[in-house]
Amino acid sequence: MPTLVRKTLRDYRRSVIGWAVGISAFLSLYLSIYPSIRSNPDFAQQAALSKYPGPLRDLMGGLADIASGTGYLQAVVYQLFVPILLTICAMLLGTRAIAAPEEDGTLELTVTLPIDRGRLVLERWAAVALGVLAVAIVTLALVLALGSVSDIGVPMGNIIAAHTGLFLLALFFGTLALTVGAATGSKAVSLAVGGGYALAGYVVETLGKSVDAISWLRWVSPFHYYLDGSPVALGWPLGDYLVLLGATAVLVTTAMLAFSRRDVGV
Amino acid sequence: MTAVVETEGLTKFYGTRKGLEDLTLQIQPGEVFGYLGPNGAGKTTTIRLLLDVIRPTSGRATVLGADTRDTAVRGRIGYLPGELALAGRERAHDFLGFLAEVRGGVSRGRIDELADRLDADLSIRMGQLSKGNKQKVGLIQAFMHEPELLILDEPTSGLDPLVQHEFLAMVREVRTSGRTVLMSSHVLGEVQNVADRVGIVRAGRLVAVEDVAALRERAVRHVEFHFDAPVPKEAFEGLPGVRDVVVEGASLRCTIDGRPDALIKAAARFTVVHMVSSEPDLEEIFLTYYSEEAPRAHAGA
Repeated sequence: MPTLVRKTLRDYRRSVIGWAVGISAFLSLYLSIYPSIRSNPDFAQQAALSKYPGPLRDLMGGLADIASGTGYLQAVVYQLFVPILLTICAMLLGTRAIAAPEEDGTLELTVTLPIDRGRLVLERWAAVALGVLAVAIVTLALVLALGSVSDIGVPMGNIIAAHTGLFLLALFFGTLALTVGAATGSKAVSLAVGGGYALAGYVVETLGKSVDAISWLRWVSPFHYYLDGSPVALGWPLGDYLVLLGATAVLVTTAMLAFSRRDVGV
Repeated sequence: MTAVVETEGLTKFYGTRKGLEDLTLQIQPGEVFGYLGPNGAGKTTTIRLLLDVIRPTSGRATVLGADTRDTAVRGRIGYLPGELALAGRERAHDFLGFLAEVRGGVSRGRIDELADRLDADLSIRMGQLSKGNKQKVGLIQAFMHEPELLILDEPTSGLDPLVQHEFLAMVREVRTSGRTVLMSSHVLGEVQNVADRVGIVRAGRLVAVEDVAALRERAVRHVEFHFDAPVPKEAFEGLPGVRDVVVEGASLRCTIDGRPDALIKAAARFTVVHMVSSEPDLEEIFLTYYSEEAPRAHAGA
């Protein structure tokens, strides 16, 4: 592994462990109560629907069939909460690649090493990707384990497919934060752009299903390519995932070009 | 002989704010070059241009014979930033190990030897280093791979006198081994003992490049004498190189340009109780350059 990737991963280690533990705690809590939901399906369905009336229900992904393993896993894990957590984790790691060290001045020495600017960005990105991957793998293992303990009844392949989408979605936003940071050198701008796009993208994808005026916008929402294929129920939406991967690749290339062109730390 | 650092019309504007204008400069192998100027004069801008941290608005620069955009050449440079930022939970020796590895390897013994010389504790986490220790880590990383060119931006800031002394010895060793040093400072006193030549930069322009010996001749110095009895002012008037004479009872204050010889001989006729001679004031040298040398400097650039 290149020296800079190893060094960056070492810097990320504590937050990667922190996020893995945090998301795992969330998953443990919610997946361990699934047996009680299943044993009382009508009540749970009713409670969920009354808690989230009208458009709120759309925002939560519809909440259909929440007492089934697929519906429950979709609603509490893959719909909103875990994607948000992993996306925040990825964006924070992404800003720490260029923007944060540029703001605190530690990037000065790094850019004067005999490492090409483009390679520097690429290796920092690789560390971000590996960090997010580590959190994704730990949490995937936990979902698989708790799923089988609570007898959730979703095929393992579908869970892996959904988790892969989760990883690709978070990686996209982490890469976006890295790219904006590489282009502007500003932590605040990169978090604002990443966070704003994530929020708008989620709202457009979920509400856009029933609001025709904005439904065309779903095509530019990264969440569309994560949620629309319903991987928990249907398995791998390969084409959608390739879109996420392709967009990420475009962002990385943009970051490399932008960072190679500009003054650092002015 | 090929110059180690060569710039031609190097200019940098930050938007409309001028950072450096039309710098043409050559630094030869084996030379210690002092780069002097007040804060904000363009020293750091020049240095960051040479390291390709920032890009010139116009003009060009080569370092060790290669364009500054050449990535590989930076492995042969040791750089100490002016505002060295070190942060994080990593311990200093792990960080140095990382830099060494990227630059192609440095023996562990070499790092320890430098840490010993500068009395630096490398087991401290980077974020908790004191200002002085940070600067020491900065110096170690700049010197450790025995680079052909050292570019040091305000290297002595934050160092105590003992460590400063050791640092200057390290600079002399680098020169003895035929390698080159470019170091900036806003205090002439910091570089005058090691530098062969100094360049003086002010408001983004190089106003003079001088031999250190010649510069010292020009230096303006404030001198104060205290005698055991009041002295007549006339005894000190009209002495060559002596200006601004003020006599108050038994004390004398004046300014000298160049050699103090005439003043010392005049004072020797009375009983001297106490004498104070300040270090040459660089700011006054700048002023001298502005008033007397400005036309020549413009023509020369």
